Amino acid sequence: MTSPRGGGVRARVDAVWKLESARIVAALTRMVHDVGLAEELAQDALVSALEQWPDAGVPDNPGAWLTSVAKRRAVDHLRRVERAERAHTALAAVDTEDVAADEDEDADVLRLMFLSCHPVLRTEGRLALTLRLLGGLSADEIARAFLVDEATIARRIADAKRTLADEGAEFAMPGRDELAARLSSVLEVVYLVFNEGYAATSGQALLRTDLCGQALRLGHRLAALAPSEPEVHGLLALMELQASRAAARTGPTGEPIPLHEQDRGRWDPVHVRRGFTAMLRARDLGGGAGPYVLQAAIAVCHAQARRPEDTDWAAIAALYDRLAALLPTPVVALNRAVAVARARGPAEGLALVEALRDDPRLRDYHLLPGVRADLLARLGRDEEARREYARAAALTRNDAERAFLDARAADLVAAPAGPTLEEVGARFLDGLDAPARRAYGQTLRRLVRGLGGTTPLAALTGADVARVLTTSWGSAAPATWNRHRAAARSFAAFVERPELAGELGRRASTAVSSASVSPDRVAALCDDPARPVRERALWSLLHESGAPVRAVLALDVTDLDRDDRSTHDRAVVWRSRTARLLEELLAGRSRGPVFLADRRPGPARVPAAADRCPDTGRSRLSYERAEYLFKQASESTLSRLRPRG
Amino acid sequence: MRYLMTTGQNSRAADEALFAEMGAFIEEMTAAGILIATGGLEPGGVKMTSHGDEITVTDGPFVEAKEEILGFALVEVSSHEEALEVSRRFRKIVGDGDSILHRVMGP
Repeated sequence: MTSPRGGGVRARVDAVWKLESARIVAALTRMVHDVGLAEELAQDALVSALEQWPDAGVPDNPGAWLTSVAKRRAVDHLRRVERAERAHTALAAVDTEDVAADEDEDADVLRLMFLSCHPVLRTEGRLALTLRLLGGLSADEIARAFLVDEATIARRIADAKRTLADEGAEFAMPGRDELAARLSSVLEVVYLVFNEGYAATSGQALLRTDLCGQALRLGHRLAALAPSEPEVHGLLALMELQASRAAARTGPTGEPIPLHEQDRGRWDPVHVRRGFTAMLRARDLGGGAGPYVLQAAIAVCHAQARRPEDTDWAAIAALYDRLAALLPTPVVALNRAVAVARARGPAEGLALVEALRDDPRLRDYHLLPGVRADLLARLGRDEEARREYARAAALTRNDAERAFLDARAADLVAAPAGPTLEEVGARFLDGLDAPARRAYGQTLRRLVRGLGGTTPLAALTGADVARVLTTSWGSAAPATWNRHRAAARSFAAFVERPELAGELGRRASTAVSSASVSPDRVAALCDDPARPVRERALWSLLHESGAPVRAVLALDVTDLDRDDRSTHDRAVVWRSRTARLLEELLAGRSRGPVFLADRRPGPARVPAAADRCPDTGRSRLSYERAEYLFKQASESTLSRLRPRG
Repeated sequence: MRYLMTTGQNSRAADEALFAEMGAFIEEMTAAGILIATGGLEPGGVKMTSHGDEITVTDGPFVEAKEEILGFALVEVSSHEEALEVSRRFRKIVGDGDSILHRVMGP
């Protein structure tokens, strides 16, 4: 009766489900007031269809069949509950509400959207639940689209349903006071779904682009359900216009093609037309333009330009000025800089970009050096542009984009002679011992990421170094800042250019960090028999002697004059509690470090003889470990054990 | 993905009930973002033939009346099955007759 291309019953059930599930789940949710249960009941109906349709044939109106079976199951469920609870109210309500209320169908779907995009849910939960309930996608389909495993999506959906139940989220239209916020949550979810698909790269494109289709469908649905909201039409217009460029924005090998180089003949006129239609609706509604309407207006400007040189950049820059005021995100600011560069010249654009280089949120965002490179190249500053292209290439995660940026870098003049930051940095680290290499390596890696590994050392300035360190650790604890500052100073000394670290000020440690641990607290820690004697002896010794931590850890058993309660050179002096703890700690030992590590070192890390106990083979307790143990015990640092004054 | 559905003569009389039913269906499909464009076609039409440098224009009809295409719908769907499902709903409304579906490649 049906050709192979007509698909089996299973394929038909799936197609019907995708078209109808939102309405079915929405209607059931209104009946049972629990979206999780509603979905289960709807799934039961789906299973019935899979069982019955192959033999009995597909019903005339499969959507209506699924709906009525699911509703019957919902009524059965409510009757069972009613019987179990011996309450009369629920059923009375059900019977009247039952199958009759079809005219409210659309409103139910809108309520379902508000529910699945509820702000109490985490973003990933909102995305998964919306695709599940409104798009009719299976957990497996969602998982493939988001490149995660099915169990993860199933868990996100289950968590989201539970959260909705726990929080008592209602299946109702939001009140006037919260409508704007709730609507913007829905719009955000739809746009995230769209971008998730739009950002897909070549290898994944087939799996992921359907998300764009899903988002467009949600957008159309939303526009039909909430026709008086300009931002809804704005979002739809924005998505349609972006979708119109889908085929034109990548080349044959998946490399990205920038907007102004795209073949405009490949922009899909159907999407463009639908985008314009949505935009006109948004404009007709009036009111102040929101972020989506403004972004759509920018997309309209591009779509209206038949050739790149026809683009009305002045209008686009003006729209970005307004958008940046509404959405002060660094990414919008960067796009605004691009528009301003087109409208008012690369120098003005570059000035805006320079201001963004200090923003920590853009630290690893590859488009920042990418845009900067374009502007520098247009200003004829080829060497700087080349380095920025190379840096952008190192930061992007998209292979095709990396190849593209590398090619742009290669098009510009070759690097002048002289060692690069990466080469000299590696040489600098090679000359350090292992702990210093670890500590300073982090600073150097960050400099390489922030400035580009191929930057010649000669081109580096103190301002560059200061910018990278400030963006990365400007708001970190003073100790962290000072550690990275020390690394930078050491590197600057190594390359004999101290001015490279000249703009890095030392930070005073804060008042809190210099406060001593109170004597009572020290006593409590040192007298606690549950704690290891080694730690108690160390803490007590530091407190009673006031000696530097490293000096105390460096002590050997033979340095101590235990009868006199001091070292032989009297540099470290202690009192009775420490004396008692030391006796306990050192029982039977006559040589080696006083404070030993818990375990013997592994074969690859044999310490110097002086730092090893000749009797037990254990090495000296390290400063880092000692600090760690005290931090665990007291949330403080060893230096604060020293009494004040 | 997009499909073009073309339709010939259908058995159901084009009365007010049909228009109402079809109108509701078109509205639903448009609101869902599925229906991109639809329309009826004049019978007959004009044929253009190119041969070498020459282009000849001939007035229709060219096929038997029962073969003639009299309507079309361009739809955006997420699967082949979905295109079939949407077309099934159309066929339920218009009575006996044929529709032909082609997947649209490109642009």
